[in-house]
Amino acid sequence: MEKTQETDTDTLISDINDIAIHDPVISKSVTENEPEPSSSEQGSSYEILFDQLKENNKHIFVLSTAGKPIYTRFGNENQMASLFGLMIALVSVTQDSNDTLQSICCGQTRIVFLNKDPIILVGVSQSSEPNDQIKKQLTYVYNNIISTLTLTQLKKIFHNRTNFDLRRLMSGSERLIDKLITFTETDPGFLLDSISCLQMPSSSRDKITQTILTQCSKIKNLVFGLLIAQKHIISIVRMKKYSLHVSDIHLILNLINSTESFKTAETWTPICLPTFDSSGYMHAHISYLAEDCQACLVLLTIDHNLFFALSDAKRKITEKMRCNDCLHEINEAIIRQPVSLARANITGLRHLLYKNKNRSQHWCPPFTSPYNTIALQQNLMSVYSSLISQMNFPGRTLKVIFQQLTAETMLAWATDDVELYMSFEPLVSKECATNAVTKLTQWMKKEEDSLFIFNIPMF
Amino acid sequence: MATRKKVLLKVIILGDSSVGKTSLMNQYVNKKFTNQYKATIGADFLTKEVMVDDRIVTMQIWDTAGQERFQSLGVAFYRGADCCVLVFDVTSPGSFKSLDGWRDEFLIQASPSDPDHFPFVVLGNKVDLDNRAVSTKRAQQWCQSKNGLPYFETSAKEAVNVEQAFKTIARNALAQESDVELYNEFPDQIKLDGGSTDNRSSGSDNCAC
Repeated sequence: MEKTQETDTDTLISDINDIAIHDPVISKSVTENEPEPSSSEQGSSYEILFDQLKENNKHIFVLSTAGKPIYTRFGNENQMASLFGLMIALVSVTQDSNDTLQSICCGQTRIVFLNKDPIILVGVSQSSEPNDQIKKQLTYVYNNIISTLTLTQLKKIFHNRTNFDLRRLMSGSERLIDKLITFTETDPGFLLDSISCLQMPSSSRDKITQTILTQCSKIKNLVFGLLIAQKHIISIVRMKKYSLHVSDIHLILNLINSTESFKTAETWTPICLPTFDSSGYMHAHISYLAEDCQACLVLLTIDHNLFFALSDAKRKITEKMRCNDCLHEINEAIIRQPVSLARANITGLRHLLYKNKNRSQHWCPPFTSPYNTIALQQNLMSVYSSLISQMNFPGRTLKVIFQQLTAETMLAWATDDVELYMSFEPLVSKECATNAVTKLTQWMKKEEDSLFIFNIPMF
Repeated sequence: MATRKKVLLKVIILGDSSVGKTSLMNQYVNKKFTNQYKATIGADFLTKEVMVDDRIVTMQIWDTAGQERFQSLGVAFYRGADCCVLVFDVTSPGSFKSLDGWRDEFLIQASPSDPDHFPFVVLGNKVDLDNRAVSTKRAQQWCQSKNGLPYFETSAKEAVNVEQAFKTIARNALAQESDVELYNEFPDQIKLDGGSTDNRSSGSDNCAC
């Protein structure tokens, strides 16, 4: 077993003192070496760089174990080459004493490391999110890199050339990583390890699923089929014995929602699903159903020669759906106002996240007053985030958390089947909040058929 | 090709303490020199962008501690270097004799795929001083015996040959970098094994749809 340890500022400080970076700001804090007195370009460009870095409170860096930059969320990684050197030095110093650097805490700032030899991911955050959350974000970024290259290729590349500049193979996918990080900061699915479904009558959904299933079941080596409307899943079908992991679905969703060109042409692309199998590629046939129906069909196979068969299947699926009115029903569902929490009519309840644990699906109703601004919504999300990590803290089981905060009262509630996170008006009592759970649970029984996908058939 | 735009080279500077590694780097990057000696503790990083032929190259320069007691960074230091600069002081025969040791140390730690052709560059520094003790000929002979390493006589103080030396460093490292084939071949096709063993199975604890 690898020995790991949470390293705090004190224990690292002696080591950090051994590493200098020629920058006026950093040098002061990490080394006794005064920087050379300079009004030089180097000095001032570093000042500009660090001022830019300070403008954002969440940074993510990816580098090779040789210390070469691979990705930075903000700024130009070439200009930060020295900073990347410093990061690898910190990791390496700890490794030399047979230890693993997990995180550094420095005032408000946390620096979290994820060592996935041959690459290292570093998250720097000034906000209150837990370290585990940052680590999970880093894992998502890592998975996205794997989805582009496969783990087999990544290892092979660095085994052959430790000095390889991975950006040569990554060009174009930085944009996907940018979007994925935004997804992890804004989508409750990331916090809850779940997906969101497009709300529609279960009879419509079943008809759609059946149409897809009929075509897919005829094709050998087709493993999964998904129908997606923006951030929501409409339908999933799968090969017997295989299932799609939520984090892989998130990668697929991110790919689709970040790529405009899928809307205009059917696409055939290799994609590795790291949780399903990090060693090789799946091949994805991606296309929108029709010009007048903006739902995206993704057919995943292990066979890279299957393009024409899948293209043909997709055409038939669309034809069938046009005949049996599915396209129309999908369009209706997309434009329909999402079901509002007001319909449940629960006093004092402002917003909630509802997770169906068995299905790994969640429902997040639209934000209503007082969460009228993006800032207030983000603030609520971070309250949820800390509540979720408290509920799911490894090694203990919590059933209920009741928290009275300055702006709202929060209740987290977990059963074997459901996780519920509710935001109430600030002065709501404990009793009132628990009554709301009962009322909501009853109401959900009527609504859940349209909010969740219960039928994921196999072929 | 779009990917040609970005090139980053990791350059390691090695040599005995006080031969002028940090001064060379400072002269090159910041165009500054100071007579004051301060030992480098652990490591020091500098970045410089240069044009080599038609390419913009970012040099990530890793300055090392010459004094053994300050060397604490382990293998990360050498791993994945594109070029290694060996520095000695022309007034110090001892520092010249150490070059063999530094070169061996680098080759062992970095274990480059083709050690015989790894781009080293040798710099004899402090040629501005009067008390020279290692002749040009002797240094050149040593470089010749190591597969003809490029050799420059430099003065960090007077900025002699520093620019030219680093230009050669960049060019030689780049020459190696560009022969790397891009890894285009696909890995083997995924085998469907019935989902019995791992997380593909639908029976896994959570998160599976």
